[in-house]
Amino acid sequence: MRRVVIYGLPVFLMLAGCVSVKNTPPAAEPAPVTAPAPLAPTPQNPPVPASAAQTAEPTAPSAAPPPVTAPATPSPAPARKSQAKPKNVAKTQVTPAPAAPQKTATQQTPTAPSAPATTAAPSRPAAPTLDLAALEQRLRDTRAIGVFTKLSLKNQVDDLLDRFRQFHRRQTPPTLDQLRQQYDLLLLKVLSLLQDGDPSLAQAISSSRSAIWNVLTDPQKFQQI
Amino acid sequence: MTPRTLYAVACAAAASMGGYSASAEDAAMGKDLAATIALQGMTCDKVVESKRNGDSDYTAVCKDGNRYHVFVDAKGRVVVKKL
Repeated sequence: MRRVVIYGLPVFLMLAGCVSVKNTPPAAEPAPVTAPAPLAPTPQNPPVPASAAQTAEPTAPSAAPPPVTAPATPSPAPARKSQAKPKNVAKTQVTPAPAAPQKTATQQTPTAPSAPATTAAPSRPAAPTLDLAALEQRLRDTRAIGVFTKLSLKNQVDDLLDRFRQFHRRQTPPTLDQLRQQYDLLLLKVLSLLQDGDPSLAQAISSSRSAIWNVLTDPQKFQQI
Repeated sequence: MTPRTLYAVACAAAASMGGYSASAEDAAMGKDLAATIALQGMTCDKVVESKRNGDSDYTAVCKDGNRYHVFVDAKGRVVVKKL
């Protein structure tokens, strides 16, 4: 029995201490204990964002609302969050400098909207990507259309390029609207020939439609072809 | 099976395979000619018969009865003429 008491008493005391820590946050007693710690480093703002930042770490998506409410009601916000997870409060007391995570957390909220903007930016130019050489090589290599058809298409592409040269020389007969119609018609022919036999190539050409047109209508880009 | 029978069966199989490949090539050529004729703005729903006149020179008969001369001229252009 003595051995049980000797070993059991410390264990009981440790458990009791843990239970008391868990109970302290909801009660008013732990608040004064935590109060001196935040008061030492910074007077008012640091303690509030510290708890907000630490609570924001587990719940990243809900991090945006806490910083807004933090300056208005500093004490109630940490109290509710500390009730949810008192262990974090203990950790906050141990950590001496919560100011750094606060700034990062507050800075993360503005950077969060900027991050999707940067990701959206590359996705937009991805659509009009154009690699004329690769498309030409794929057209040469595809088995979806025969040799006569390829040669006939090449003749018509060359004819259209000649008309664009005339247009860039300021010759009036081919207007831009006429060129656009001929370009659309030729592209429609190519797509109709490829859509069954080589749908991936047809999709690639279709997605590059506007980019190719931009190259053809720009005199400087057209000369580089 | 005697060796002669095996040889005859092998020859028949080879002949049938050759005929199949030839018909496949004809079908591909017919599609190519039909697409070429259509690209030139002429009507041909399907090529039912094609005759090779020379290098890059064919005569195509379409299902609707139209006959076309499809060839590549000296400048490298595909020409389709209605016969």
